[in-house]
Amino acid sequence: MKTSKRRTSTGARRTTAAVALGAVLALTVTACGDDGSGGSGDAGAEGSGKGKIVFWDNNGGVRTEIWKQIIADFEKANPDIDVEYVGIPSTDYQSKVDTAIQGGGLPDVGGVNAAMLAGFAAQNALDPVDGRLAKSSLSGKMNKDMITSLRAAGGGDGKLYSVPTSANNGVLYYRTDLFKKAGLDAPTTWDKFYAAADKLTDTRKNAFGYTIRGGTGSIAQALDAMYGQSGITSFWDAGGKKTTVNDPRNVAALKKYAGLFKRVTPAADLNNDFTKMVAQWDSGTIGMLNHNLGSYQDHVKALGTEKFRGIPQPTLPDGKRVQVSNPTDGLGLFKTSKNKEAAWKFIEFASSREQNSRFNKTAGQVPSNNDAAKDAWIAEAEPTKLAAAALTDGSTTIVQLPYYLPDWNTISKADNEPNFQKVLNGDLSAKAFLDTMAGQLNTAQADWTTRNG
Amino acid sequence: MSVKEAVKTAPVPAPAAPEPPRPGRRHRAWDEVPRWQIYLPLSVYLLFTLIPFYWILLFSLRPAGSTSLVPWPMTFDHFEKVWTDRSFATYFQNSVLVGLATLVTTTLVALAGGYALARFDFKIKRAFMLALLCSQFVPGALLLVPLFEIFAELKMINSLASVVIAETVFQLPLSMILISNFIKNVPYSLEEAAWVDGCNRLTAFRVVVLPLLRPGLIAVGSFAFVGSWNHFLFALMFLNNQEKQTIPVGLNTLMGADSVDLGALAAGGIIAAVPVVIVFAFIQKWLVTGFSAGAVKG
Repeated sequence: MKTSKRRTSTGARRTTAAVALGAVLALTVTACGDDGSGGSGDAGAEGSGKGKIVFWDNNGGVRTEIWKQIIADFEKANPDIDVEYVGIPSTDYQSKVDTAIQGGGLPDVGGVNAAMLAGFAAQNALDPVDGRLAKSSLSGKMNKDMITSLRAAGGGDGKLYSVPTSANNGVLYYRTDLFKKAGLDAPTTWDKFYAAADKLTDTRKNAFGYTIRGGTGSIAQALDAMYGQSGITSFWDAGGKKTTVNDPRNVAALKKYAGLFKRVTPAADLNNDFTKMVAQWDSGTIGMLNHNLGSYQDHVKALGTEKFRGIPQPTLPDGKRVQVSNPTDGLGLFKTSKNKEAAWKFIEFASSREQNSRFNKTAGQVPSNNDAAKDAWIAEAEPTKLAAAALTDGSTTIVQLPYYLPDWNTISKADNEPNFQKVLNGDLSAKAFLDTMAGQLNTAQADWTTRNG
Repeated sequence: MSVKEAVKTAPVPAPAAPEPPRPGRRHRAWDEVPRWQIYLPLSVYLLFTLIPFYWILLFSLRPAGSTSLVPWPMTFDHFEKVWTDRSFATYFQNSVLVGLATLVTTTLVALAGGYALARFDFKIKRAFMLALLCSQFVPGALLLVPLFEIFAELKMINSLASVVIAETVFQLPLSMILISNFIKNVPYSLEEAAWVDGCNRLTAFRVVVLPLLRPGLIAVGSFAFVGSWNHFLFALMFLNNQEKQTIPVGLNTLMGADSVDLGALAAGGIIAAVPVVIVFAFIQKWLVTGFSAGAVKG
């Protein structure tokens, strides 16, 4: 076989390069693996209160910076404890925790909000924190409503599995410049809301009064509008067995609300998740948007503070306001933690006045620490101030959504979001839609009651 | 005749003669077709394809809060933010490592397996091929928990190797089938000629078959790289350390639970797309050849 020296040399060089590349890649990718458990000591142990703990942030990326600052301060105050921060995208947090519950590798501390609490508690993944909270410096300093909300969402045993960090609240954002131009009052009542939506709409000029959420997350917003208009203040009837979602007053309210679609909203709203909804409101000429405190900073970046306001949901003619609950966010202590003492120290530190205040200032949400809620920045962020006032001044009744039902996420998302789109399109009546959802909820409630006694 | 010469003079099947036009059927030459009938549909198609890309570019280059339809005044703040503040430099490096390692391992194992499938007959060959095909219908999410347990047992959680192995395993079936088809198209007589010249099987494969597989290898390698570059699930589940996460996970962290920075998201999307575009731009010629010509050349 003929092969020249030159080709042999080239071939050898190629082989050497390939081997070198392979070796470098192999060495790089195989370095520093572990069993995913983090921490030290025995599984599920109190630990020494020193060493490493792992913290999973349930809204990674957006909150990474503020959490890193809090962690740096914590490590300064507790030099014997190292906190490993893992920021996980909010949309994927639940599936990552669920996988870790099944396969191992849970962190010591993790973000656990009310909406995901029932699932985690049902899988026995969390340690109750009532005892630790009662003995801690936080005792008596946390917002009672948030504690109640998280306790109720925990799965029915009356225990608290997550220490609240912040509350979100529904906000009606409206463009003050467009309202002023049209000579409209602030949409503080539902009547004013509907009138403004009509008056601000001019489809020929691509101007719309409102943007409705028709895609992912549509059910919570629709429920908020329904209960807000019907004035019904409880999700369940007096016996606690049948839901009120298909009450005739709610049916009428949903029919009126869904009637806004395409009449005063863009047709593309059918697929609106919050990202699209917020993006088109921030960059277009739409009069009003329902979202929560979380998007306030996005609006400020896009519009400045002069062109819009964020106010609590509209009231009924008698001035009363009814809203559905937003999931309270919190920090949970995972049962498999090998260093619970250090993990609790971190939760306690993060929930202290100073840290809770700086966290919520960045997030634009309502602090869970009562002292932090009195800080000056609250008065400067109008939507947060108004939301905090609405939640505490007695003007608002909160309809608690059944986050404790393990099936709640399925019912309020996969099962009914496509049906809500049919309602918007006129292919399904509001009554049929709500009757179906009510049937699913009643069954889930009956199952839950049977299991929990 | 040396092996090299044999490769060069290997018989190539003659292309089939085109069918003569049916009587009475009118055929227009390309020259007779008005240019607009070609360019108008292509332009419309191109417009639909490019508008979303333009939109991403626009959001990434215009300042936050701007509603302008052109990226002017232009800013690179979003790129700077994601690259430095949001650790995309690290994610990018990790994605490159995972992509290259997956490319190398997938190609090497697919070559070995594909050769066996193409050149050897064994009892369970058909069942094995069927199993390879069926494995394509298993969604990755279904295997997350068992894979997680295996990697945890091997202490490979938090290691890029876990992602590379998982990606390779999922890329292999299709790659192996493709490579075996490419190898089948290389005349066996070429290898036999090499054996007569004194080569063993491995040398004959390396010297005779491998050079003819270049388009196929490029196709398989590029699909392995792009597949692992875009894949999100394994990196999310097996990597906990922030310093080891990859671009798709980083992109998802730009979307918060209640807020989203569209400028940063668009800049992150462009950073994620650029390597894939470059890879396809460079390998386009071989990719088309690889999938159409069966890898035999004279």
